Amino acid sequence: MKLYEYEAKEIFARYGLPIPRGRVIQEPKMAADIISEIGGPVVIKPQLGVKGRGKAGVILFASNPQEAIENSKSILGKTIMGEKVEMLLIEEKVEVSSELYLAVTVDYSMAKPVMIASSSGGVDIEEVAKEESESIRKIPVIISRGILEEDLDPLISAFDAFDSSVQSQIRQFASMLYHIFGDYDAEITEVNPLALAGNGSVIALDAVLNIDEDSLFRHPELIKRRGKNEEEFQLEQLCREMSWTYIEMDGDIGILSSGAGLTMAILDLIQQGGGSAANFLDTAQMDADGIYKAFDLFYQNPKVKLILVNIFAGLNRCDDLAYGIKRYLRDHQLKVPLVVRMIGNREEEGRNILKGINVEAISGMEEAIEKAIEISK
Amino acid sequence: MSILAGSHTKVIVQGITGSAARLHTKVMLDYGTQIVAGARPGAAGEVVCGVPVYNTVEEALLHHQIDASVLFVPGRVVKNAAEEALDAGIRLLVIVAERVPLHDTITIVEKAEEYGATIIGPNTPGLISPPEHTKLGFVPSQYYTPGPIGVASRSGTLTYEIVSRLTSAGIGQTTCVGVGGDPIVGLSFPRTLALFEKDKDTDAILLICEIGGTMEEEVSELVKKGKISKPIFAYIAGRTAPVGKRVGHAGAIIEGNRGTIESKLQAFEGAGIPVAFTPADVIGIARKIL
Repeated sequence: MKLYEYEAKEIFARYGLPIPRGRVIQEPKMAADIISEIGGPVVIKPQLGVKGRGKAGVILFASNPQEAIENSKSILGKTIMGEKVEMLLIEEKVEVSSELYLAVTVDYSMAKPVMIASSSGGVDIEEVAKEESESIRKIPVIISRGILEEDLDPLISAFDAFDSSVQSQIRQFASMLYHIFGDYDAEITEVNPLALAGNGSVIALDAVLNIDEDSLFRHPELIKRRGKNEEEFQLEQLCREMSWTYIEMDGDIGILSSGAGLTMAILDLIQQGGGSAANFLDTAQMDADGIYKAFDLFYQNPKVKLILVNIFAGLNRCDDLAYGIKRYLRDHQLKVPLVVRMIGNREEEGRNILKGINVEAISGMEEAIEKAIEISK
Repeated sequence: MSILAGSHTKVIVQGITGSAARLHTKVMLDYGTQIVAGARPGAAGEVVCGVPVYNTVEEALLHHQIDASVLFVPGRVVKNAAEEALDAGIRLLVIVAERVPLHDTITIVEKAEEYGATIIGPNTPGLISPPEHTKLGFVPSQYYTPGPIGVASRSGTLTYEIVSRLTSAGIGQTTCVGVGGDPIVGLSFPRTLALFEKDKDTDAILLICEIGGTMEEEVSELVKKGKISKPIFAYIAGRTAPVGKRVGHAGAIIEGNRGTIESKLQAFEGAGIPVAFTPADVIGIARKIL
């Protein structure tokens, strides 16, 4: 789960990390109040889940209340990089003398947290990472030991060119950032840029904090955070409850399958066969109740023109699942064709239940997919 | 022969009193797995499917020799249970749970390395050795049969789908290891392959892969360096998955250039590892290799 910049900065502030003064707004006219409070030029930043705002040129500035309102109006409610802007963070404009970079993330190949630092922060950090890797310092962390003062030396050496006061501020910052990473079960926390201000102080101009979804039970306050909208929030809740991975796509075949790898393989076979998927629904474990709820979800989605169900009953039973389908079709008039592939435990019994409601169960996976593609065309 | 576990392996089931654990304890016992004890705090004295239950792994060790633990506990308490087993001296852990917090997995894997222990998973159906009639986890054994192929997979149901076709075609398996679908797992592909390389009954190795991560690329490097001499063949799921979205396993997400299908296909090609385009193609390649 990716927190918005302002949410990450609220957490940073609680840990005593320096951030610019400012507030989040949803009404353009509020921008005027903030600029009066701050008493100087401000920066106006749309709160988005995607990266690359700086490069997209959607970070604006204002030096008087009128301009702040105008510029806020020009981006609030607009769709930027595929996302609707519902909030702006308005904060004081900081005089920057250098843009630095600090992050704590996970190196998945090493299976360890890593701290990363560079004196060349800013919008081009990805290029810096590729081209001049010597300006980037990376240190792995032993998670059970955490970060001790001296562990940070090789990291802080990235900032040799700066005076000792700056280095010690960065050191403190880095150590606190690691605490945030640990306390919040982060996948990544990143500050880019970490600015060296004209007055010699170090301050976080941006803040990234992505939380591991599987750790949310340890952070109930984050589950309750404002969702993007009620509908999306409901869907996320449903998926959590059912242990579904559900992703909407652009095509017309609704896929219901169990197991991530197998569902991905089905998606591949559909696309390779010239079909297109309307969604990707992987149930960790297929059961009758899950089938019922999934059909409901497909039923409400106008993009789904055909439902493809793949049942491979290894631990569960075909007859149970067939009964789930039967129950749904008893309660609802299904408006789209249904293709069912079914093999495994009690296959024959399952097949007979489906036959009773005029649904043919196909045993070959490729055959079922071909049929689904053919009908959907 | 087999890798990691066989008919001699003495197993404890942690969380044995849960409903899924009870079911799979029975299924594992029926298949032939030697389950000698169960553990569950507060349940000492109970008996599940004839297996005595103790409060802790340490307590069970006072009465039994134990080589491996299968953890049937929810993701949020896996860390405690795994640390308990590791501290008690168990050196092979199978963690079937999904949704184990990332930082907990890192902590467990780190601790296992210190102890020289092997973690299978998290997020795995476990492992099965058909010639030994032994399985640790919930792999449905009816799709497996003894034979010369070693299988390592990041997926559950996709493995049953593919292995059941191998079995139908008369091609059996030595051991099938589900390494787990998470971005960080204990026993990775490279280490699993090193075990198959040493197993005299394994003639060829099938890798069931997914996009995301770098395990496939690491395997290719090992092969190029000559560390693995047995023939390897592969299937990769997620060729057409949208970039940047968590489609399927958390480990299957593509970020930046890491773990793309192109990167994996190129790596396998460079190492001379044939890749099946569809699950059905796997059988043809297996026949050619054997």
